[in-house]
Amino acid sequence: MLDGPPGGGYRSPMRRAHAAEVAVVDLAVCDRCGLCLPLCPPEAIHLELSDLVVDRQACTGCRKCVAPCPVGALAMVDA
Amino acid sequence: MPDVDVLVVGAGPAGAVAAAHAKRAAPELDVVLLERDRAVGAPVRCAEGVGDAGLREFAEPDGAPWVARKISRVIFVAPDDSEVKVAERDVGWILDRTRFDAHLAALAVAAGAELLVGTEASGMTRTPDGRWGVAVRGLRGESSYRAKVVIGADGVEAMVGRWAGLDTRVPARDMESCAQYVVQGIDFDPDAIYLQFGDAVAPGGYAWVFPKGVGIANVGLGLVALKSDGRNARQYLDAWVGRRYPGGARTGYTVGGVIVHTTVQQTYADGVLVAGDAAHMINPLSGGGIVNAMKAGRLAGCTAAAAIRAGDTTARRLATYHHAWMALLGQDHLKYYRIKQALETVDDAFFNALARTVNAIPQERRTLGRIFTHALVKHPQLIPVAARFFI
Repeated sequence: MLDGPPGGGYRSPMRRAHAAEVAVVDLAVCDRCGLCLPLCPPEAIHLELSDLVVDRQACTGCRKCVAPCPVGALAMVDA
Repeated sequence: MPDVDVLVVGAGPAGAVAAAHAKRAAPELDVVLLERDRAVGAPVRCAEGVGDAGLREFAEPDGAPWVARKISRVIFVAPDDSEVKVAERDVGWILDRTRFDAHLAALAVAAGAELLVGTEASGMTRTPDGRWGVAVRGLRGESSYRAKVVIGADGVEAMVGRWAGLDTRVPARDMESCAQYVVQGIDFDPDAIYLQFGDAVAPGGYAWVFPKGVGIANVGLGLVALKSDGRNARQYLDAWVGRRYPGGARTGYTVGGVIVHTTVQQTYADGVLVAGDAAHMINPLSGGGIVNAMKAGRLAGCTAAAAIRAGDTTARRLATYHHAWMALLGQDHLKYYRIKQALETVDDAFFNALARTVNAIPQERRTLGRIFTHALVKHPQLIPVAARFFI
């Protein structure tokens, strides 16, 4: 049941190997609204103790979280 | 490891109503309601508008301390700033969400549920006896609960659904990025809500003014980032507020995401139900979710209580929740989603033309139905768009 997201495939090592960039969050700007969590295909973004955390191992560099952030707290950096 | 019957994660409208109804349906059950933030109802991530009829199913608004303003008019603002007033009796209310959410949570406690604030669920695993072990951390340190049913009412981030293996992801085109200021000292009709459409204002969404009192309002917007010109929601809002209310004092701000999609494919798993924003139970046209969340919470609480009494909390049994929700509102949301898709094809010129047509109708005869009919008569080119509304 907890093997991975339904319809997965996003967590394959092949994908990770190709991620040239990963998302990072600026916690000074982030409002902890949680909007980016369901946007992340590999579910690599978490709220831990109310702080946003991006799992660099799981991030595929797809950028889907970057533009929707209402305050621009997410950016891409070289993996 | 304390044993409970129902563990509700999130004390917003969905969670509080779920906890209250589970306890009322089966008073012998132990029901615990967790809230991550230190106060129920804060921070407010909401424009706070709610329809009259839906609200009255759960609480009596007249004279209530958790109401900020009664609304009796809707003013649509076209991209060219022309206004269309539509007066309808008993349109709705602007709430004080901090007080309203606390009111709902107090009802749950009065029904016998236990409320823990400043306490978040940090993970959960299935136990060998077919329950959920839920790790919790908060004011009393780290601990864990063992629950027969976990109700995930944890909002847009929806961690409970994720932990239970449900797919709660959202495509980017169905996520609205929202920003909102509380603006004071501005001039507008305090009995009306204002909704402005337009690609330059809020591409793929709309901007709003929801009055909290005379001269004070929630002023915000939601947009689809894929359609933006590169600016984020707060930058669009700065431009709009600066243009419309340059003299207003921005005394507060909030941001957040509104999922304008349809209900998740599956809202249940073994020993798990998800409700409200966590299950994408939001009207995809309006972005409204408060009443939906309360209705889902009521269903989830009653379903969980009945399942526990029957000694069967398997996914097979809990599926009745999903079917009941789909019959109640989920199917309507599928319809609204198709309307939303049809509206994506119309542009600013359409809204401007529609505003001119509707303003030719005397205001006292301006109902939403009549507006729609006149729009089609005057603009037959809209008929294909309108036809798609009903497919």
